[in-house]
Amino acid sequence: MNHYQRNSATFWLFLTPVLVAFALVIVVPFFVGAYYSLTDWNATARAGQGLTFVGLANFARTFQDPGFIYSFIVTTIYTIVNVALINVLAIALSLVVTSRLRLRNVYRMGFFIPYLIGGLVLGYLWQFIFNVAVLSVGESIGFLSFLADPERLLLGRVPTAIFAIVIVGTWQYAGYIMMIYVAAIEGVPEELYEASRIDGASEWQKFRSITVPMIAQAFTITMFLTLVTSFKQFDVNFALTSGGPATTFMGKPIFGSQLLAMNIYQTAFTGNDLAAGQARAVIFFIVLVVFSVVQVTINKRKELEM
Amino acid sequence: MKRLIVFVLVLAVFAGTAFASGAPEGGGITLMQNKPEIDAMLQEYGAIWSESSGVDITIKSVGGGSGADMGQQLRADYAAGEMPDIFTIDGIESYKEWESLILDLSDEPWVDETAVAFTVDGKVYGMPVAVEGWGMAYNADVLKAAGVDPASLVNYDAYVDAFAKIDAMKGQLGLDSVVSMAASAEMGWVTAHHNFNSLLSAGLPYGDLSVVNDLLAGNVDQRRLSEYADWVELLFTYADPTVLTTGNYDAQVGAFATGKAAFLHQGNWTDPNMAAANAGFDMAFAPHGALHSDTDGIFVAAPSFYVINAESDNIAAAKQYLRDLVETEAGQNYMVNEAGMIPAFANVSLNPAGQLSRSVQEWAAQGKVYSWSQYYFSGEFRDGTLAPIYNQFATGQIDKARFMALLTEAFGSL
Repeated sequence: MNHYQRNSATFWLFLTPVLVAFALVIVVPFFVGAYYSLTDWNATARAGQGLTFVGLANFARTFQDPGFIYSFIVTTIYTIVNVALINVLAIALSLVVTSRLRLRNVYRMGFFIPYLIGGLVLGYLWQFIFNVAVLSVGESIGFLSFLADPERLLLGRVPTAIFAIVIVGTWQYAGYIMMIYVAAIEGVPEELYEASRIDGASEWQKFRSITVPMIAQAFTITMFLTLVTSFKQFDVNFALTSGGPATTFMGKPIFGSQLLAMNIYQTAFTGNDLAAGQARAVIFFIVLVVFSVVQVTINKRKELEM
Repeated sequence: MKRLIVFVLVLAVFAGTAFASGAPEGGGITLMQNKPEIDAMLQEYGAIWSESSGVDITIKSVGGGSGADMGQQLRADYAAGEMPDIFTIDGIESYKEWESLILDLSDEPWVDETAVAFTVDGKVYGMPVAVEGWGMAYNADVLKAAGVDPASLVNYDAYVDAFAKIDAMKGQLGLDSVVSMAASAEMGWVTAHHNFNSLLSAGLPYGDLSVVNDLLAGNVDQRRLSEYADWVELLFTYADPTVLTTGNYDAQVGAFATGKAAFLHQGNWTDPNMAAANAGFDMAFAPHGALHSDTDGIFVAAPSFYVINAESDNIAAAKQYLRDLVETEAGQNYMVNEAGMIPAFANVSLNPAGQLSRSVQEWAAQGKVYSWSQYYFSGEFRDGTLAPIYNQFATGQIDKARFMALLTEAFGSL
């Protein structure tokens, strides 16, 4: 065995466990799932037995379901608002914690911690805040008494309930995205700022003309991450609103804050229609790929080559 | 390189032994049930039973709240070829799902001891886990102070008067609202399962499916529906709007347990919550006022049934386990004293400790019971179609006429 062969053997030896795990939990289920979406798979069909091929019937039914169309629209709105809010907040926070602030490392840690809490826990926690804590504040502080009005409960109306998911999603995720911005901002060469200072640039000009273009690579990553996680939002949605409150869409009563991932879950497991759920998941996947490819392409164009 | 090979070999040996020791041993039985709150007691009883019978038993508890439910776990286990020997079903819908592998238990000795076994076409397939019931749980102390006789609460008009009377005295009685009702998305089971059942079975003989069959066929009796809609509206009107529209189980039960509401729209499973909240008042169940005519009874049935997997290798042991649960002292003690359940068998003479459970037992003993018929409608229909309709009514987005129209339309689409 020569040197090259030995290296190559070690390379594959270390790579194999990862490849096997990746194939078993991602690649194989993906293709099996895509196949199931074309069948009449229901809950009690044992895998590989008694399946009938039904072509694109599940997809056709999916596009006729008001619940799915509604979830799609709501999820898109949610994603746009959430991506914008997370990124604006994350940049603001990262600028704060990279400035000459005392205790900035403590702040960094503090902003990051929500990311370490699971979405379900966060959902129940914030449900308590929105339903109980906010009311108590309204009841005990005079000029905030409007908060105690049951008509104004954040989780009691569809638009505000979706906004409540945005609030929790942002609170959870902004610290994580902040860390990516922090790393990028700290990588900007100091001499650029020095030169601009000599030229008499204002803080805003420095941010606009130096920081933003220099951290364009970070934007590609953060936009991608926030886009994908917002689109896939499930746990906070499930624990915080369970899809409620209800509304009517295309003449059908449906749950108004049910995002796409939860709609797929309900179709598959409450409706026992696993094949239809699978078809929705395939559509979901395709849409997500298209969105993120477009986003990455646009962002890539704005990156600078150093 | 040599070292690396040795390392890999050692790893392989370790992995081999680890997997080998993790393999299941033959001879035992597996039971899967859907009440995590009694898991600890059941595990304890399982250990006692194992010792006396010499058969290993593995107990898996899945479900509760809005998390994973047992149906999903069963489907996964079935697909993996690891179906438990004994599992629970909740009614006709889940029976149909597993019909092909549920064993006929008609010849078991406990069949003669119970009136609520799960039967299809005269054959017994499921052994009742317990008896449960719901109605309008009331705070007897509050009703007494307000001068309302719980025995009079048998129809809609009686409730209209009682609610109005108590509502006027709310401040004096220390109440936030008259009735603790929940209709948020995650509490769809209170509205679209339990309350919905009033429409299906209130006032009818036990097991009468005439209304169910009419609705399934799309024939809606508008008069009955209108009376029922009045009842729903009455409950929503006198409920605390915060609890009603966004509250969860804790908020709903907590309001009653802490004396902030005079009535609670829940069942006897709230007994442990009452104990945990140190609710120090007398409580019992009153019938629903779902109709204008008298409906003097509460909704009582077995919520779930043990069934035996016909493909199991240990059918005899599984049957023995179920027999012992009813016939042995340890089994009865577990059911009533440890798990706090209302026994579904005549040969069990123990009484549960909870006030609401005892109330259910009293109603059942008098034979004033109505059936649970909501299971004749699929889970998808109740959770996906009915629950949003109730929720819109509760949040005031639709009025009674629209509520009735939406329900009629929903039944028409079945």
